[in-house]
Amino acid sequence: MKNDKIYEDLFLVQKRAKRIFILVGLLFIFLILNFWKIQILDHEKYWERSEANRMREILLPFQRGLITDRNGTILANNKSSFRVSLIRENCEDYEKSCRKIARLLGIEEEVLKERIKKYESLPLFKPIVVKENLTNEEVAMIKARKLELPELIIQTEPKRFYPFGSIAAHVIGYLQEISPEELEDGIHPERRLGDLVGKTGIEKEYEAGLVGVDGQLVEVVDSLGRSKGEIARLESRRGRDLTLALDFDLQKKAEELLEGREGAIVVLDAKTGELLALTSYPNFDPNSFINRFTSEEWLDLVNSPEFPLENRAIRGLYAPGSVFKLTMALGALDLGIVTDQTTYFCGGTIRIYGRPFSCWLEQGHGKVNLYDGIRHSCNIYIYQLGKEMGIEEIARYARMLGFGEKTGIDLPGEKDGLMPDPKWKREFRNEPWHPGETILVSIGQGPIMVTPIQVAAHTALIANRGSGISPHLYKSYSQAGNKKMSSPHFSKNYTVKIDQANFEKVIQGMWEAVNKEGTGRAAKVSGYDICGKTGSTQTISTKKLEEMTEEEEEEVKTHSWFTGFAPREDPKIIVTILVEYGGMGGETAAPLARQIFDLYRKKYDRQKSS
Amino acid sequence: MIDRNLLKNIDWILIGLLLLNSMIGVAFIYSSSHYLPGNYFLKQIIWIILSSAALFLFLSIDYKILVAISFYFYIITIGLLGVVLLFGKLVAGARSWIKFPFFQVQPSEIAKIALILILTYFFSKYRKDYISWGKGLLGVALTAVPVFLVALQPDLGTALSYIPIFLLALILAGLNKKTFVYILIVILTLGIAVWNFGLKDYQKKRITTLIFPGQDPLGSGYQILQSKIAIGSGGFLGKGFRKGTQSQLRFLPARHTDFIFSIIGEEFGFMGILLALLCYFFFLLRLFQSISLSRDRAGVYLIFLVAMMISFQFFINVMMVIGLFPIAGIPLPLFSYGGSSLLTNYLAISLVLNVKMRRFYNV
Repeated sequence: MKNDKIYEDLFLVQKRAKRIFILVGLLFIFLILNFWKIQILDHEKYWERSEANRMREILLPFQRGLITDRNGTILANNKSSFRVSLIRENCEDYEKSCRKIARLLGIEEEVLKERIKKYESLPLFKPIVVKENLTNEEVAMIKARKLELPELIIQTEPKRFYPFGSIAAHVIGYLQEISPEELEDGIHPERRLGDLVGKTGIEKEYEAGLVGVDGQLVEVVDSLGRSKGEIARLESRRGRDLTLALDFDLQKKAEELLEGREGAIVVLDAKTGELLALTSYPNFDPNSFINRFTSEEWLDLVNSPEFPLENRAIRGLYAPGSVFKLTMALGALDLGIVTDQTTYFCGGTIRIYGRPFSCWLEQGHGKVNLYDGIRHSCNIYIYQLGKEMGIEEIARYARMLGFGEKTGIDLPGEKDGLMPDPKWKREFRNEPWHPGETILVSIGQGPIMVTPIQVAAHTALIANRGSGISPHLYKSYSQAGNKKMSSPHFSKNYTVKIDQANFEKVIQGMWEAVNKEGTGRAAKVSGYDICGKTGSTQTISTKKLEEMTEEEEEEVKTHSWFTGFAPREDPKIIVTILVEYGGMGGETAAPLARQIFDLYRKKYDRQKSS
Repeated sequence: MIDRNLLKNIDWILIGLLLLNSMIGVAFIYSSSHYLPGNYFLKQIIWIILSSAALFLFLSIDYKILVAISFYFYIITIGLLGVVLLFGKLVAGARSWIKFPFFQVQPSEIAKIALILILTYFFSKYRKDYISWGKGLLGVALTAVPVFLVALQPDLGTALSYIPIFLLALILAGLNKKTFVYILIVILTLGIAVWNFGLKDYQKKRITTLIFPGQDPLGSGYQILQSKIAIGSGGFLGKGFRKGTQSQLRFLPARHTDFIFSIIGEEFGFMGILLALLCYFFFLLRLFQSISLSRDRAGVYLIFLVAMMISFQFFINVMMVIGLFPIAGIPLPLFSYGGSSLLTNYLAISLVLNVKMRRFYNV
């Protein structure tokens, strides 16, 4: 009885399974009908699409974000340009194609093959750029040969264009093709072989915000490469526009002032640390770099003895010279070594540690107090401070006041500079520190090295009576654009522990240097309270200088510094100028600073000072 | 080990059909990937040999014993799924692989066998004409655990493929119409919930693309279109072996795995498809015919669930390549490249052979 039940049961489940299998069979018939429709009824349609039609993916390149100055003047733009690309898959005979194309485009066959070889890893159907920046004639010529050379396609792409050429070139930087190393590093995760990326300057620093996303177009083409219509289109998204803190007028002025010289000018907003101008001269035209193929111009520039590609404002290492006397004065006051009334006698030379050290003024400055020391930039006065302070204290104050470390400016490649001390000398030169070196370092000579941007940040620290800023170019990103970018932070707003009164004393000295017939008098703008300090730095060692004749000595010019701010109360602008081999700071750099101060006052500070 | 009398009862025809379909797969894996590094077709052949060995080894244990210990098997599988979630290898955004020195396995595939065995264990003991609520809910719980674990990987395609195994087990156990309607309602509600909270954007896109193919022509719509062009352009007789001109298809991801049927359609045309479908149909038919040869309920359940597991994946995959189903990442059993899936299917067939082989034994 029990067994019977089991068998009955089995029959029931088997019946159910059979019903399900009927469904399976029906599904097979349904599938066959579907394949019948696709392969027999619609065969013609699909055959055409597969045979006469190949799909082509075309990249729709994105527009890079614009770069403007603080007032909206466009410094980096995009304009459309034509380029011709080769689709290897469409070549009937690759060798023959290369020969024909080389002749048509006027490129050597070897060069052409080299270019293509670089992109070998791309799939065969991807276009490879063989020539860009085509002229209209070239475009017409290629189009006329369409039937003969279906493997060539012409594409337009937005190309970076810098309307003012070399102005602010070092700030903005330029684009070049992504290098294999960068591709491997993965610093540009979304970029591919053949893409252009920012190589220096703002273009590199803010690459992530400026780039957009490429779009894509899929179209059907016949065997001759003629488009038979779009299948799909994904629009590109443009990058974010970037507003810089730069003021175009000041920037332009700064570049004009340096023309024919080598040097750097840094103009800072004293309160915010925004860079109103940052120049390095000689400069270059970044438009000539935006090229996939190494151009003659590029090689010329890289190999030029004047190093036009170097951004001297952030990468140039110079001895600070007398500019360093501000650090010395602040340190000595803070340590209580001198008061503003302490005087020393300057007789033109002095023997310290058994060695003669001279002032720049042969006949000497006579009795000198702190204000005179800064005003006349008296070496003898500072030597005494240096001797009293010692190298460790000097180094401590120099670091506190911004030397020997990066300012953190938003440009790639900034240099640290060097604040030497005995530890450094032991480590890097394997020699003990000589006391005489302390005396040299105290007037900003010897191994001490600073960059113009450090001097500018240092000046801002003094102008703000001890509160530091961090210099930066970034102002804002546009609202619209590809991905959301958060503003970078420049919060290096720190205060140094030096009494405000001591800053006032040093500032008094700086004010006198410009306004009371001091070394900086050439920077004076009447009616504008400018405070400043000049510097002239020997470019070769004293020893060598001693071996020279007087005429030769005349020939060797010093680097010329001026750094200053205005107005004295509630400072607004910082100007730092370095002219290589410019001679005395007061003669070369200070008059240039005057023109910057003058322009700034006319443009921004007129109401207040008049 | 195995009784000689038992060997006589092995269904060699079924094994022949199994190998035939596997070899068709190898041929098209070769055609679609011979220009790629990796020697996929050779690897597939090695997997077929290993899986065949596993098939015979698995035969040596009486299926009744397998069903009896199915609970332990199930627990171990669930443990493996947990392990893979924690320590699995990340491939294409999902953690579904356990890596060994020379190969890697997907526990989510093996889990299908465990599920079939445990459902058989619980449902075949029940001898009424219609299933009770308690048994039904037990089945739901047993199925839900692997579904959730695999969905977390996240591999939604595989996770969803467990559900039909359970549903079909229910149908076999006997569902009255009312219950069937309730279950449909529950599934629909769950579906809406998953759509809103569980699906990733790309998965939603795949489904909407199916309904509105114009919406995402560069993504999954592009794949469907490419697949249809390949199949459609094959016509009646196809373009010949290894002569598929759809060079674009080379940019189709997973053409030697999920889109292998498109290659058959392009290179051998409608006749090729018909032949392939026929081979598959006979294979499935042989499985279903085996049901009536089973001597007990457990055997019926085992064969039926194995047959349905394979049929379900087969239909989903084929409908996928002709644009009738969203691209779900479900391979074509036996045809597609992939060791874990192959091994699972061979073990499943081993269960069927096991039941048939022992039908006269020990009654």
